[in-house]
Amino acid sequence: MTELVLQALYSGVLAGGAYALVALGLALVFGTMRVINLAHGELVLLAAYVAYTVESRLGASPLAAIPAALALVCAAAAAVHFVVARIHVDREINSLIATFGIGVILTNTMLLVWSADVRSTSSPWLQEAVVAGPLFAMRGELVSFGASLLLMGALWWWLAKTWHGRAVRAVAGNRDAAQLMGVAPGRAELVAFLVAGMLAACAGVALYSVGVIQPALGAALTVKAFVITVLAGVGSIPGVLLGAVLLGVAEALTVTLASSALQELAGMGLFLLVLFVLPNGLLGATARRG
Amino acid sequence: MHTLKRSALLATLLLAALAARAAEFTVGAELPLTGSLARVGAGMHEGVMVAAEVFNRANGKHKIKIVTVDDESAPAKAIAAVEKLAGMGAVAITGGYGSNNIAPASSTADKLGLVYITSGGVDDSLVAAGRRNFFRINNTAGYEKAALGLFGDMKVKGVSIVYSTKDATSDLARSVGKALAAQGVKVAEHPFDPAITDFKPIVNKIRLQDRPDAVFMVGYENDYVGILRAARVLKPQVKAMVGVWSLATPKMAAEFPDLMPNVYGTALLPYPATFTGADGKAFADTYRQLYKKEPDYLGQFGYVQSMLLFEAIARAADKGTVAKGGIAEELRRTDRDTLIGRVQFAANGDNVHFSHRMGQHQGKNIVIVWPPQHATGKMAYPAVPW
Repeated sequence: MTELVLQALYSGVLAGGAYALVALGLALVFGTMRVINLAHGELVLLAAYVAYTVESRLGASPLAAIPAALALVCAAAAAVHFVVARIHVDREINSLIATFGIGVILTNTMLLVWSADVRSTSSPWLQEAVVAGPLFAMRGELVSFGASLLLMGALWWWLAKTWHGRAVRAVAGNRDAAQLMGVAPGRAELVAFLVAGMLAACAGVALYSVGVIQPALGAALTVKAFVITVLAGVGSIPGVLLGAVLLGVAEALTVTLASSALQELAGMGLFLLVLFVLPNGLLGATARRG
Repeated sequence: MHTLKRSALLATLLLAALAARAAEFTVGAELPLTGSLARVGAGMHEGVMVAAEVFNRANGKHKIKIVTVDDESAPAKAIAAVEKLAGMGAVAITGGYGSNNIAPASSTADKLGLVYITSGGVDDSLVAAGRRNFFRINNTAGYEKAALGLFGDMKVKGVSIVYSTKDATSDLARSVGKALAAQGVKVAEHPFDPAITDFKPIVNKIRLQDRPDAVFMVGYENDYVGILRAARVLKPQVKAMVGVWSLATPKMAAEFPDLMPNVYGTALLPYPATFTGADGKAFADTYRQLYKKEPDYLGQFGYVQSMLLFEAIARAADKGTVAKGGIAEELRRTDRDTLIGRVQFAANGDNVHFSHRMGQHQGKNIVIVWPPQHATGKMAYPAVPW
């Protein structure tokens, strides 16, 4: 039993790292613009398909697709921003509808370009088992987890130490006050969308490296990212990691100790429990005070 | 000379009369071409189009025109699709994928008095609901026979069943589990939510707790890849990895060459496919001509269900009963050998003779290993992909 639980915890933490990578971009845009980008999962998936194309056409590692994925997904993110920024009436609700529509368009575009077949990496290096005592993981999962931590650190540094990062935080905190202090809110929002696009691109390549992709997956990714964003507390980067890891561990432990059929239910149960006990999310209140 | 003129005139009149009686019938194809079932829907649609092409080429008298409406893998859209097709003058519906979509779609067709024929749903409630115009050429029992037959030949003592909690997959998994348990085989069941992506915790339970001879996977392509990949990492000490639909296919062999070796799945044909009969050759040649690729099982099912429907429409048209329930009557009279075996419908619309076959990925080929009378090679056992 100990071996089972240890492996579940290990798998849960690794899965949480991947979840966090998917959720970071959504959390950033939500924090800055109070816009829930329902096309975020499709942006992640777009990057995953770029990785598939690079691997299948050029025979290169999926990781080599990162520059191309960055370019394409950032362009798509900028296009989403172009649409959302033009919504001035009831932005929160109307942007939901607009980004949902963009998500549908992206899904069908991917369906047309890459067909409905399931795709996954064929790289033996990424799929190889890495064994540490009684713990097993796929090398791709460890790479993905490492990348997630690295990107989260880079995002924290950017938000805390750079002018553009601080501008994004200022707009997230108080748009009008930020404008009075010389920050152009529109530009800060575009920067937030582009950074979210970069994170989505990395998340997509990681997703392709460890999982299975198909055009209909985008919506499920968005839901997972949204759950983590709310669980984390708006504006909290460490909260995203904590929420994602908690979600991953809760799912894995449910499979191990109860039934695998209850995995998704356990995630939603955790989500509702945290919201009931901590309405601002896991680290939302702390972040606000800070 | 007069006789010649009279004969020519008579022949012209006869041809004109025949032409007047010949008709083009619109048949609706309601299938998921987008959404989560797009892959399987598209595969079946290819078979439908091949059947129309072959039928129209061979049948000089009646023509079939296919009108396709995408149900977007959603039950509500499936109902709307059937209603739209009825409004467009469809005399019957071929298609449907996923029992959840087929149930409401076929109920709507039934209310509209339209025949609905499918091979995309194995949920038994589809044939137990009392729909008068519903026909199905495959069923859970046929898949169960194949799985149980293979496990019987393997003489397994323990099986871990990993299955998606969708209706069709749950039905089949539970049914096989019950039958195996009745034979004294130790069975452990692991139902999983279709949204699950990491199968390691499940495979780890199989490895450390169940310790079975074989793992039986009842899911879809993405699930198989996830389970096999997790198994490749954890390497449970099993003797065989067995699945059902969408697994023993040339596409899976080509897309996932590292995961598929020695894996078993239901397969109607070996690969490379060999068609001996005229019907099979017509299907395969037309398929290759239209789609520039090798035919697969989804196309084969779509072809058979549609061809049986078209033939029934033609017979009903000859009798002038198309508008009087004649298509359903003709389907009830059907008893014919097809590319998926003999087809004869029971009173509830289910094909009483359906039995699947089991194939195994061996090298780049798919070898039929069960039943023995259709086997094209011996099974590799014990053998796993890692």
